[in-house]
Amino acid sequence: MTDAAPAAPRPLIDSNDSRRPTGLLLVAIPVFLVGWLVIWPIINAIVRTLWRPDESGAIGFNLDSYVFFFSDQYSINNLTITLWTTLMCAILLLVICLPISLYLRFSAGRLPAYVQAMAIFPMFVPSIILAYAFIRVLGPNGMVDILLNSVGLPKIRTPYLTPWGPVIGLVWDNIPLTVLILLSGLGNVANQAIEAARDVGANRLQVFWHIILPRISNSVLVAISFAVLGIFSSFTLPYLLGPASPEMMGPFMNRTFREVNDPLNAITQAVITFCFCIAFGLFYVRSVARNQGK
Amino acid sequence: MKRRDFMISAAGIVAGSALLPRMSFAAEGVIDWYTSSDSNILDFWTNTVKPAFEAANPGVSINLVDAGDGAGIISIAERAMAAKETGTDPQADFFESADAELPAGAIEAGIYANIKEAGLSNYDKVNPLAIESDYSLPYRGSQVLLAYDSTKLSAADAPKNWDDLVAWIKANPGQFVYNRPDKGGSGGNFVRRAIHQANGLDPSAFTVDNYTEEFGNEALGKAWELLQDIAPSLYDNGAYSSGNTQSIQLLAQGVVTMTPVWSDQVLQAIDQGVLPADTGLVQLQDLALAGGFTRSVVIENGVNRDASLKLADFILSEEIQSAILTELGGFPGVSWDYVAPELRERFADIVPKTIPTFPGGDWSGPINDGWYRNVAPNVDRNS
Repeated sequence: MTDAAPAAPRPLIDSNDSRRPTGLLLVAIPVFLVGWLVIWPIINAIVRTLWRPDESGAIGFNLDSYVFFFSDQYSINNLTITLWTTLMCAILLLVICLPISLYLRFSAGRLPAYVQAMAIFPMFVPSIILAYAFIRVLGPNGMVDILLNSVGLPKIRTPYLTPWGPVIGLVWDNIPLTVLILLSGLGNVANQAIEAARDVGANRLQVFWHIILPRISNSVLVAISFAVLGIFSSFTLPYLLGPASPEMMGPFMNRTFREVNDPLNAITQAVITFCFCIAFGLFYVRSVARNQGK
Repeated sequence: MKRRDFMISAAGIVAGSALLPRMSFAAEGVIDWYTSSDSNILDFWTNTVKPAFEAANPGVSINLVDAGDGAGIISIAERAMAAKETGTDPQADFFESADAELPAGAIEAGIYANIKEAGLSNYDKVNPLAIESDYSLPYRGSQVLLAYDSTKLSAADAPKNWDDLVAWIKANPGQFVYNRPDKGGSGGNFVRRAIHQANGLDPSAFTVDNYTEEFGNEALGKAWELLQDIAPSLYDNGAYSSGNTQSIQLLAQGVVTMTPVWSDQVLQAIDQGVLPADTGLVQLQDLALAGGFTRSVVIENGVNRDASLKLADFILSEEIQSAILTELGGFPGVSWDYVAPELRERFADIVPKTIPTFPGGDWSGPINDGWYRNVAPNVDRNS
């Protein structure tokens, strides 16, 4: 407990080997937590679904629950709607967030500050509140319908309780993170490079395609993989805004576990969800690794 | 040797200091009260029951604790069982909402007080239909009713039995919605009413331990056919809201004309102005939609057992039972004869003559999963 070594003045950067344990100790806690709360449950889930007793009671390698998942049309539909929702969200996020971040990067003054505040705002809105606000605004006889009605226009086809409900909610929820990541990527684009391209006669589209996009492709990849990871396993918005069936994997897993009391199939669904997420995660890891290699 | 002494005393101090705040927790005269109910129940106890009881019983107070959900109550009961074995203080006296059969063996272990034999002065007022066990006290109930928009449907035309309801739903496509059966009891009990309908209107056909896969498939299969039949005529060609509140919201926004609701929730919604005062309420007369009572238990080995029994007696008093109607919007646990006559008249529509219930246990899983697999899909919503 007491370090009684007589202290010589310590250099600012201590290259002495004896300080290494302190560094290791500092990372030990997060590493331990990740191992305990993330890695171990994953291994546990995989082993529990693969290595378990079969009908005769003999414990051994058993793929039944996976065979059931992929031969069950209901489960397949749920997986498909999850992939569809994720893809739609990714496309819409890019279409919405790229123009916003380009605007914020290349304009100055008060207005962009307000736009930025608006774009970051969803970050501070809990998704349950977002869901109820959505129902009030876009739901049947909601605010949009009332406004349309007051000018004599027909009602909208409400996205509430259809697959588009979660898509709209999730896109809005993920705008801040995507804009922030894209904006930091756009910081890498030098004004001189754009001016140089303009000098030789490049139009706006050419500047975007040949100068800006190659510089931020990495950020786009990171932003999309972050958003996709969150959306694939989202729960609250699909639960409150989506249809009863098909349902996304998050509500499906939760329901299988809690309401159907079927932990084996719930864990199987979780492992399958995890496998898809790890594929998206690899994109992220690869782009980070490529970035550091530079 | 020295080091070992140090370790032992250090461990003792740590354990002691961890226990210290809990030891001071279970005090004589402070009833440790737990609930698994929603926040409206906790509010009701905080604002109505606790002040009234403490005023009537000087020197006794109630410590209201939210146990979260049913699993939270069960784990506290398990703690009481362990405490009973070691002869220590369970630090729990009263469960506002519990099933005396859970956890298994609790009654045999003697941790729940026998309410029937405890000599409560109000016990014989309890609605005999509601009594499930001698060890639990049904003190409030609620039932699922149909709420409708009386500007679009007159009380005279409101359906009074299942066949009329189905005919009305089909004649008014898009005007009825019920929520997913696992996401809230209003839709859940509507689905259970369909199961009763498909199986000869006999609630006694389903008991907590008679689920078998064969019987389940047969009984539930017929109900899924009934529900599939009405699905295309529901709101948005077969959409299902994701909870009790969302159904009320759709009714409040004038999107649908009728939806099943919990009696206490709908009365509260009317009271708070979420739904207009002229919202119609109707119960099916051939067999009511299922409902249930909330039952309290008293911990036998709790420090404040006697005070807790006094509390159990107190919540059956006319004062609290009337407040359950007027403030909570539930219905009383005592028979209707013991409710003030003007209240009896005012709430005549929701007075349950029979209270069909549907067992939980092994039935819940197949009902929830079967509904999602058979009723929720199989509808082309774009048609």
